[in-house]
Amino acid sequence: MRTPLETIRKKRAEAISRIVGKGYLSTKRVYVGMATCEIAAGSDEVMKVFQDAIKGGLSGVYLSQKGCAGRCNLEPTVEVVETGKIPVKYGKIDPVRAKEIIEKHLKRGEVIKEWVIK
Amino acid sequence: MPEKTKKEFQRKTITFCNGTSCMQKGSIDLKNLLRLELEKRGLTEDDVRINISGCLGMCDKGPLMIVNPGYTIYANLKEEDIPIIFKEHIEGDRPVAEFVTDADHLYNRFFRVFGDVGFFGKQMRIALRNCGIIDPESIDDYLSLRGYEALAKVLTEMSPDEVISAVTSSGLRGRGGAGFPTGLKWKFTREAEGIEKYVICNADEGDPGAFMDRSAIEGDPHTVIEGMIIGAYAIGSSKGLIYIRAEYPLAIKRLESAIKAARENGMLGKNILGSDFCFDIEIKLGAGAFVCGEETALIHSIEGSRGMPRPRPPFPSVSGLFGCPTLINNVETWANIPVIIVDGPEWFSSVGTEKSKGTKVFAVAGKVNNTGLVEVPMGTTLREIVYDICGGIPDDKKFKAVQTGGPSGGCLPEKYLDTKIDYESLAAAGSIMGSGGMIVIDEDSCMVGISKFFLEFTQSESCGKCTPCREGTKRMLEILTRITEGKGVEGDIQKLERLGNMIKKASLCGLGQSAPNPVLSTIKNFREEYEEHIRDKRCRAGECKDLLVYEITDKCVGCTACKKVCPTAAITGDAKKMHVIDPEKCVKCGKCFEICKFGAITRS
Repeated sequence: MRTPLETIRKKRAEAISRIVGKGYLSTKRVYVGMATCEIAAGSDEVMKVFQDAIKGGLSGVYLSQKGCAGRCNLEPTVEVVETGKIPVKYGKIDPVRAKEIIEKHLKRGEVIKEWVIK
Repeated sequence: MPEKTKKEFQRKTITFCNGTSCMQKGSIDLKNLLRLELEKRGLTEDDVRINISGCLGMCDKGPLMIVNPGYTIYANLKEEDIPIIFKEHIEGDRPVAEFVTDADHLYNRFFRVFGDVGFFGKQMRIALRNCGIIDPESIDDYLSLRGYEALAKVLTEMSPDEVISAVTSSGLRGRGGAGFPTGLKWKFTREAEGIEKYVICNADEGDPGAFMDRSAIEGDPHTVIEGMIIGAYAIGSSKGLIYIRAEYPLAIKRLESAIKAARENGMLGKNILGSDFCFDIEIKLGAGAFVCGEETALIHSIEGSRGMPRPRPPFPSVSGLFGCPTLINNVETWANIPVIIVDGPEWFSSVGTEKSKGTKVFAVAGKVNNTGLVEVPMGTTLREIVYDICGGIPDDKKFKAVQTGGPSGGCLPEKYLDTKIDYESLAAAGSIMGSGGMIVIDEDSCMVGISKFFLEFTQSESCGKCTPCREGTKRMLEILTRITEGKGVEGDIQKLERLGNMIKKASLCGLGQSAPNPVLSTIKNFREEYEEHIRDKRCRAGECKDLLVYEITDKCVGCTACKKVCPTAAITGDAKKMHVIDPEKCVKCGKCFEICKFGAITRS
């Protein structure tokens, strides 16, 4: 019989392969802040823009919610993370800006510098 | 190899650990050496960003340097290593294997994503290590970051006593505010006898403006659950409860989904991860009474009684929920447990000060440029939080005070800004650590008004059981109210001090014992403001409305705008002639002051 440590190592390996299977390494990962504070600042609408875009055929994107990172005055926040690149952190994102992130950053790879958190 | 263009360098950020230990070992020299390498190639810090960070907690491996992207950690660096790393890694994108450390600690993964943001530079993320970088509703995300490994380790190779001694030697203290040594609490609960033992997570976060626990649960609920299971194993409990206020619906939803996922994966329920150990967790909703954050009141509330405290001893560790030994810890305390187990108590106790180990989360609000959630190693100064992390006071206003510990804490003026954050130093300065509320106050705020605000809160939240707290806070509030209304009399300050000290000594629970703190600390540090209110009927911040006097100066052109807007017809005067305010009729609403385009109305 497996020890608890062996069990958890197996579970971790399975979890990682599930995450990788969803495109964790090969895509642009988009994290939208979805804590109470972020939602109050309007992040659910931002999330919906990304969800709709994926439904509408946007590919190569791994969309995930995330908790609060602590940047209250810059919420809602969105991160675009790509393996091997410095993660791009956007602040004060509304649905209009979210659409622009999709067009410029996700589709064409252009970072929109004005909105990046420093 | 062709020379890199400037643009390509821009992608790298180098972070030097600037903790005391690394600094002593020469991290600043290394940083300067790296700058020299940049200069040699005609590059500036715009091309390769050079950052410093707070203690990364690997002091035995210092000096440390992190290269992003990739989060490569270089350890035990020497001056001669810098040119090699620059040439190979920064120019050539080939990390130098022999200097890279393989330490895979749980903390600071956060910095792989957020490492180059200034706000996080002096922070260190232990309790909030996964908040903001994982999907809180995905157990896979948590598992992939070594989640539940601490639990498995405990079940596989540690006896309950070994777990307790690990927690004890880590130096972890209760993050709910009082700072009781966690390991000791666990030991007492383990040693107590009872037919059942309970484990409770206190998520009844009630301080105005505090949201550390909510963010921790919403961002990473599994950490708290894992901590609780380990605690249950250590004390021999089979039943756990999370007491959380009903005002946190999203946190509750995430906890429910996390508990469900943990059950499905065999981390909760019978025979956890194939061992003999059985434990499950239930969520109890609180109705939002502040006093229910006090542990005995919380237990009463779970039992179905009115949430009122009782005298201690007996402490809950001996006689708690339904008379059984009960282990109560705060959300943040639980969140630290998996790190202590996986990364080791020695590592954990290497962070912080002599008597306060690890980190503390603060919810920083008020007059700072960057409000937010901040997790810093113990020993960080208040100045570093206010100025370095939170970017100082907006609009170049002057710093006046920082309030820590919420309604139970005190206000510290500028001379205490270099106070190190740990339980003892804050207490010595006249405030408390508290659960982590931190409010920054600038010159525009009236200290009497601030202390009145907090006392209004504690007075209305007093459960009414003991007389000093019920009656005493009411009387103090009456005195404060009359001072802010300009009706204060000589002797009021002394009365406040006497009452406050009496309430502190005679109250039953922490609520009453700490309720006078905001008033007493502002009297101690800002006594002259109280005196001005009482003697000169003057509020220097201009916040106490009743003390203001509005007057029209000769700048008035007689436009009649103020006359029209005055709700009590206190302003008289003909068009194109100077107007006058009748102080008897004036209700000090400030409308005339706001509407005047000529700056003709003064407020003093």
